[in-house]
Amino acid sequence: MDAAHIRNFSIIAHIDHGKTTLSDRLLHRTGTITTREMEDQLLDSMDLEKERGITIKAHPVTMRYKARNGESYELNLIDTPGHVDFSYEVSRSLSACEGALLIVDAAQGVEAQTVANMHLAMKQNLTIVPVINKIDLPHADVPQAKRQLEDILAIAGDLAILASAKEGIGIDEILEAIVERIPPPKPTGAPSLQALGFDSYFDTYKGVVTHVRVFNGELKPGMLVKLFHSGKNVEIKEVGSFNPKPYVREKLEVGETGYMTANIKSPQEVKMGDTITDARHPSPALAGFKEIHPMVFSGIYPINTADYEHLKANLAKLQLNDSAFVYQAETSVALGFGFRCGFLGLLHLEIVQERLRREYGMDIIATYPSVIYQITLTDGTVKPVDNPAYLPEPTYIGKIEEPVVKAFVICPNEYIGDMMALITEKRGTVDHTETLDSRRVMLTSLLPLNEILIDFHDRIKSITRGYGSMDYEYAGYRESDMVKLDMLVNSEAVDAFSCIVHRDKAEGRGRALAAKLKEVIPRQQYAVAIQAAIGGKVVARETVGALRKDVTAKCYGGDVTRKRKLLEKQKEGKKRMKSFGSVNIPQEAFIEVLKA
Amino acid sequence: MASAYVHVPFCAQKCSYCAFFSEPSSGETINRYVTALIREFELLAADLKPQTIFFGGGTPSLLNLWQWEQILTAMDRLNLLGAAEWTVECNPATISLDKAKLLRSAGVSRLSMGVQSLNEALLERLGRVHTREMAFKSFDILRQAGFENLNLDLMFAIPGQTLEDWRETLGEAVAMGSEHLSSYEVIYEDDTPLFAQLKAGEADVNEDLACIMYEELVARATKAGFWQYEVANFAKRKLAGEVAKSTKLPDFACRHNVNYWRGGSFYGLGPSATSYVQGVRMKNWSNTQLYCEQLEGGKQAIESQEKLSPLARAGETAAFGLRMVAGWPFEEFRQVTGYDLHREWEKEIGELVRQGWGQVEPESFHLTRQGLRFADAAAEMFLR
Repeated sequence: MDAAHIRNFSIIAHIDHGKTTLSDRLLHRTGTITTREMEDQLLDSMDLEKERGITIKAHPVTMRYKARNGESYELNLIDTPGHVDFSYEVSRSLSACEGALLIVDAAQGVEAQTVANMHLAMKQNLTIVPVINKIDLPHADVPQAKRQLEDILAIAGDLAILASAKEGIGIDEILEAIVERIPPPKPTGAPSLQALGFDSYFDTYKGVVTHVRVFNGELKPGMLVKLFHSGKNVEIKEVGSFNPKPYVREKLEVGETGYMTANIKSPQEVKMGDTITDARHPSPALAGFKEIHPMVFSGIYPINTADYEHLKANLAKLQLNDSAFVYQAETSVALGFGFRCGFLGLLHLEIVQERLRREYGMDIIATYPSVIYQITLTDGTVKPVDNPAYLPEPTYIGKIEEPVVKAFVICPNEYIGDMMALITEKRGTVDHTETLDSRRVMLTSLLPLNEILIDFHDRIKSITRGYGSMDYEYAGYRESDMVKLDMLVNSEAVDAFSCIVHRDKAEGRGRALAAKLKEVIPRQQYAVAIQAAIGGKVVARETVGALRKDVTAKCYGGDVTRKRKLLEKQKEGKKRMKSFGSVNIPQEAFIEVLKA
Repeated sequence: MASAYVHVPFCAQKCSYCAFFSEPSSGETINRYVTALIREFELLAADLKPQTIFFGGGTPSLLNLWQWEQILTAMDRLNLLGAAEWTVECNPATISLDKAKLLRSAGVSRLSMGVQSLNEALLERLGRVHTREMAFKSFDILRQAGFENLNLDLMFAIPGQTLEDWRETLGEAVAMGSEHLSSYEVIYEDDTPLFAQLKAGEADVNEDLACIMYEELVARATKAGFWQYEVANFAKRKLAGEVAKSTKLPDFACRHNVNYWRGGSFYGLGPSATSYVQGVRMKNWSNTQLYCEQLEGGKQAIESQEKLSPLARAGETAAFGLRMVAGWPFEEFRQVTGYDLHREWEKEIGELVRQGWGQVEPESFHLTRQGLRFADAAAEMFLR
C-alpha cells in the first residue's frame, strides 16, 4: 500500500484505563477479528498479563479500514509494554509510529502512568489523539478529565474523543481521527532500505522473529540485509504482518509494519532498536539506538539445590523471548548455586520471578534486590557494582553514586502529608506539587532507585487505600553515602544478607534483619551471636540462647522406632545445613528471612 | 524369651497429653479384645517364656474382674505365669481391692500407678479422671493387696504448674513411700489436645522452669532414698549403700524397661504393640477392630516390620542405652550387638567427652549428668 494510506499508531494508557478493550474493539470494528474471536484481552497472551492488566510482550497488528472518505487504509497498531520498566521498549515501539491514542479513564482521570507514558510519546514527537474512555460509567466526569488533559499534559481538551470501549461508543470516531489526525509515514530520503527492529520473539521453527517498521525502501525475502549495531549480515527468509496471527506477505514497503525472519538463532543477535539496511548499499542508521542495560539485580536460587540445572534451562528459555533479561551463574555460601539476574526494573523482576514460578513450576528464592552503584576508586577509576560482595573496601572508595528516579505520585489530597513523609523516609525530595482536580494532587519527586525497590508501591497503595498511583523514569546518578551492611553469625558473614544501603538506613535495617534471623535460626547447644556490621563496626546484636536440654522425657520399647526415625531425619537434615563457624543453619531459615 | 509387653488400648477418658493408641471402652469391644489377646498368646506361647511381663496402656486396670480372670486363666494354661517381674499399669480411679488381690495372687509383682499430679487443678488440666484423694486411697489399696513394689508416674512442666506446685506434689509423692518413681516432663505430641492448646497459645513452654523442675526432681528423689538409673526413672535399693557394682542398677529398677534400653528382645501383644525379636522389629495394627479380626481369623495382627542392618541396629542400641545412667559396659555391648562400642564410635565418644557430656571408664562409657540432659543429641550421633 502507498504510504499515504498507512497509519502507524500506539495506544498509551494507565493500567485498567481500557487499552486492551479498546484494542479489541478496533480489531473487531475493522473486521480484523470476528465477534467470536473477540475474546477478552486478545493481544495479551500470557496469563500474567491478563491478571495484572499489563502487556509484557506485544505484537503489532495490521488492520484494513475503509474510511468515511471512501478510501481504504492500512492501520498498524503497535502495542507497547505498558510500564516504564520497559521504557526503552516503549520508546522503540513509539518511534515506529507517527501517532498515539492517549487513553484517560473518565472516572479516574489522569494517573501517574499516563504522565510517564505521555512524556515518552512527546519525546518522540508523536501526534497525540486523546480519548476519554469509560464515559458510560456513573462516576464519569468528562469535563474534569478534559481539564486534566489541559492542565497536566497540555493537550487541548476539546480534541478528546469521548468513548466507551466496553459499550462500543466512539469507536468510529477514533478510527476516523487516526486517519485524519495522524500523519502518514514519510520516506526518509535515504538511498536504500531503513527499517527499525523494535521487538522480537523466538519461534522454534523460524528462529528469531523480528518486529520491523520500514522507514525507507522495502523489505523482501532473499535480500541480504545488515543489522547495523549488531554488525551482522543476514538473508531475509520471510516477511509478513499480524492480523493478529502472523501471515506471510510478499514484501513490506515504506511505512509498513510487520515482521521478518532470517534464520537468526539467538535473540541477542538482534538488538532492540537496531536499524536494518541493505547490506550492499547501506543507508545511515535511524536515530535513537541505545544498548539496553539492566537496572536492578537479584540472585535467583532454586529452593531445592537439585533443581539448579532445571533452573538454568528455564532461564535460557525465558531469555529467548526477553532479551532484556540477563543472568550469570553465581554461588552463595548460604543458598548454594544460583544465578545473578539483571532486570530493567521492579516489574520486570517480579514478572520474571512469577513466570519462573508459574509457567515453569520452579521453586525459587530471590535475594534482596540491588541496583548498580558507580564506585569511583581513590585512584580515579570508576567501577560499577551490582553485588554487595564485590564492593571494594571502604579505604579504596573515593565516592559512591547511586541511580535516582523521577517519580510521579498521584494521590488524594487528604493523604498528601503521609505521602510526603513516605518520600522523605525513602530519602526522596518533592520537587513540585500540582493540583490535578478538587481531590487529587501529583507530587513530582526525586528518589533513589534502591529505596523504591521493595515496598514503595505497596506503601503508596496502603497509605491511599488503593487510590494512589506511582510511575517513574530514570534520572541518572547522584553521589550518596552508601555503606555495606553485613550480617554475621558467630562472627562469620552470611553472604545472602549482605546489602548496600544508605548509612542512615544501615542500622535500622541491621536491627530488623538481626531480629528476623534470631527468629529463624534454630537454637543450638551453644549460644549463637547474630550481628549486623558496617565495615568492622557492629551496629546491632541479637543472641540465640543455648539449648538447655535435648532429651525425650519418655522412651520405651514402642517408642524406639519412631524416635530413631525422627533422629535420623534430623541427622540427615543437618547434612544439608549450611555451616557458619560452628553454627548449623538450615537453608529454610535463610529463605524464611528473604521471604519476609 | 525375655520379655512380653501387652497393650490394653482402653481408657475411661483420653488424657489431654496422651498420644498412645487408646479408645473409649465399651464392654462388648473389651470382651472381643480379651478373646483376641488370648488367641495372640496362644499363637506365641511356644516361643514365650517371659522373665518380665508388662501390661501397659491405655488403662489395663480398666478391665473388669471377669476379663482379668479370662486372661490370667489362659496365661496359666499356656504356662506363661511365673515371670520374675510382672508389672501392670493402673489408674487411681479404676483399681479396687478385689482386682488388686486377683492380680497379686496370679503373680503380678509390680503395679505402676499413673498419678501424674497431686494438684486438683492440674489434674483437671491434664484431663485425668481421678482426684488426689483417689491417688492416696488407691495406693493404700495396693499395699493392702500385698504389693511390695509400686511405681508412681509423675508429670512436670504442666502448663500452669508453678515450681511451688511441683515441690508440693513431689513432697507428697515421695512421702507415699513407693519403691519406684518415674517422672516425665510434659511432651507436646501431635494430635493431642495439649498440643492444640500449645499451638493456640493457651499453653506455653518455659524451658528454664522445666529445667529447674527437673533438678528439683533429682534432688528430692535422691534425698528420699531413690537412685536415678535412667533419664526419667528412679528406684530404691533394698539395703542402704551403693548399688550392685556389676549392673549399677538399684534393686527396684524396672527390669522390663531396662531390657528395652539394653537392646534385648521382647514380644509385644495387643493393638499397636511393638516387638523386637532376633533383630526384627514388628508392629501390630493400631486399630482394635482390625486387630481382633486378624486374630479371629487365626493370623497375627502385624501391620509392619522392619529389619535393620547389624550396624544400624548396634547404633540404635548404643543410642538408646545411653539414656541409662550406667551407660554401656563395653563387654555387654559387644555381647548384645557384636560391635566394639569404643572402636566403632571412637570419634563420637571423643566428641562427647570433649563437650563434657560423656565419660569413659575403664570398662564402660556413660553420659555425664549434663550429657543426660542432651541424650537425644548424643543418640543422634550414634545412629548409623
